[in-house]
Amino acid sequence: MIDEYAVEITALRRVFATGKGLRKRGPGHVALDGVDLAVRKGEVHGLLGPNGAGKTTLCKILSTVLLPTSGTAKVLGFDVVGQTSRVRESMGIVFGGERGLYGRLTARQNLKFWGALHGLHGKALRTRVDTLLERVGLTGRADDRVEGFSRGMKQRVHLARGLVGDPAVLLLDEPTTGMDPVAAKDFRSLVGELRAENRTVLITTHDMVEAEQVCDRVSLIDAGRILATEPPAALSEWITRFERVDVPAAPAEVVARLRELPGVGSVSTEDGRVRFETTQEGVAAQLVRALVDEGVTSVTTSKPSLEEVYLHVFGHNGMAVRK
Amino acid sequence: MRTVLTGCWYQLLVLRRSPADLMALFVAPVNTAVFLAIVRHADRPDLVGHAVLAPGLMALWAIALITCGELIDAERFGGTLEALVAVPARMLPLLTGRVVVVTTASLFAFAESWLVAVLFGLRVPIPHPAIFVISMLGTALAMACWAGVMASVFVLARSARIFQNALGFPFFVLGGVLVPVAMLPDWVRPLTNVVFLSWSSDLLRDALKTAPVQDFAGRLTALLGLAAVGAGLGAYLLSAVLKRVRSLGTLTYA
Repeated sequence: MIDEYAVEITALRRVFATGKGLRKRGPGHVALDGVDLAVRKGEVHGLLGPNGAGKTTLCKILSTVLLPTSGTAKVLGFDVVGQTSRVRESMGIVFGGERGLYGRLTARQNLKFWGALHGLHGKALRTRVDTLLERVGLTGRADDRVEGFSRGMKQRVHLARGLVGDPAVLLLDEPTTGMDPVAAKDFRSLVGELRAENRTVLITTHDMVEAEQVCDRVSLIDAGRILATEPPAALSEWITRFERVDVPAAPAEVVARLRELPGVGSVSTEDGRVRFETTQEGVAAQLVRALVDEGVTSVTTSKPSLEEVYLHVFGHNGMAVRK
Repeated sequence: MRTVLTGCWYQLLVLRRSPADLMALFVAPVNTAVFLAIVRHADRPDLVGHAVLAPGLMALWAIALITCGELIDAERFGGTLEALVAVPARMLPLLTGRVVVVTTASLFAFAESWLVAVLFGLRVPIPHPAIFVISMLGTALAMACWAGVMASVFVLARSARIFQNALGFPFFVLGGVLVPVAMLPDWVRPLTNVVFLSWSSDLLRDALKTAPVQDFAGRLTALLGLAAVGAGLGAYLLSAVLKRVRSLGTLTYA
């Protein structure tokens, strides 16, 4: 059912020309390379990937501020190239960061301005602005200039701005950047409320805890390609379907013997703590039994967290940003 | 229309917080004083009208060039242009509202010049008040239309400020702001004819003279025609520029 999806992306490709004007040269920089993605209505969907992976480019295309090179993207069935007005009516955008707000205006004035551009006016506009200021916890600073706000407070104004048009689909590009832990926790509650209101949220983030807590599904994106789309828990299984076994301490000869067991992939030791990574189903249970038999009774089993998945998939990039 | 009003409201807020955007209003009285001093020194009371009008026209052009010309680029620099493009409201009426407010505010320069003349003990009678008011309104309209062109064009230039600085005096000359274009060489006339300021300044100066204003309707039509060209060109350029920056991915600097 096509109506099931709030966002549908097919073979989306975006290439940025290198050089300038008539001096364009080379094949260009491929920011998105055949992205396919479908986000269900009411879903909170995370986009995870390193810097330069293509997350923001994807958000920009969906929000109609950037044209794709090829492929299609639809928001609530409306094409982002041919039906921009309909897309803009149904979408709110939060581009994170310090910029993007009018610093010399107050938070209330900022929201009134953006609300007016979404077609609100009069009492409806005032009520919406007051409600949003309350919702993001800025009522007490509503009439202060935004230029005096901390980064986290600016981020709240960004969030309120994204919601001022009462959008069915909300794009959040790293929305908790700069927020303190308490504010970030409040933000996650807010996303929960948005889900309860049946809004669709597409969120890019580097915060794995955030992704695990708020997202129904996450997509791993790198080099302009979607590597996988799964619920956060299922993505753990994407790198290994099998459990790890951790023991706080174990005799070296026991560790050496168990290392040779079939199905034990790797063994690492850090601060005396030993971790066995298994590569076959059922081996974790065998390991636990063997350890207990050897007198090691403090044993825990676990699956990789989303953060570990992220580091596993993208860790090789280090500080490098893809060209 | 609501978006135009939103643009007006927003620009009023901005101007209240950024009076430097109207810096030319601080310069206009000084220019007036200089021009009036020259006129007095030359003992040419017949040129007082020229000396009073010129600073106003110069301020009008300077503010259009600098403040209106940077309206879109400033949004891009501040990181708000993306969000502006992504809202349901169209950019053209929003920009129109903002330009109207800036242009209207810049008209205050004429009042300042008049006051400076009074301080000099000079009177500047207006024998043709209706023609003067209509010409002034036509001038403001044309300026607003061409300011839209500048706002669009300067988005494409990373070093727009160089152009802005360079486009001051050439247009003061081609627009006959201080020296009537009739006194310029004939070969310049084709250029001056397509600069709306030349029609404006001549009409405004003629409205200050006791002699009947010749061919007022024809000259006003030329002024309004050039305003219409500016409006059409501005609308086209805005649309084309936004499409281009969306295509190139240069809607934001970062």
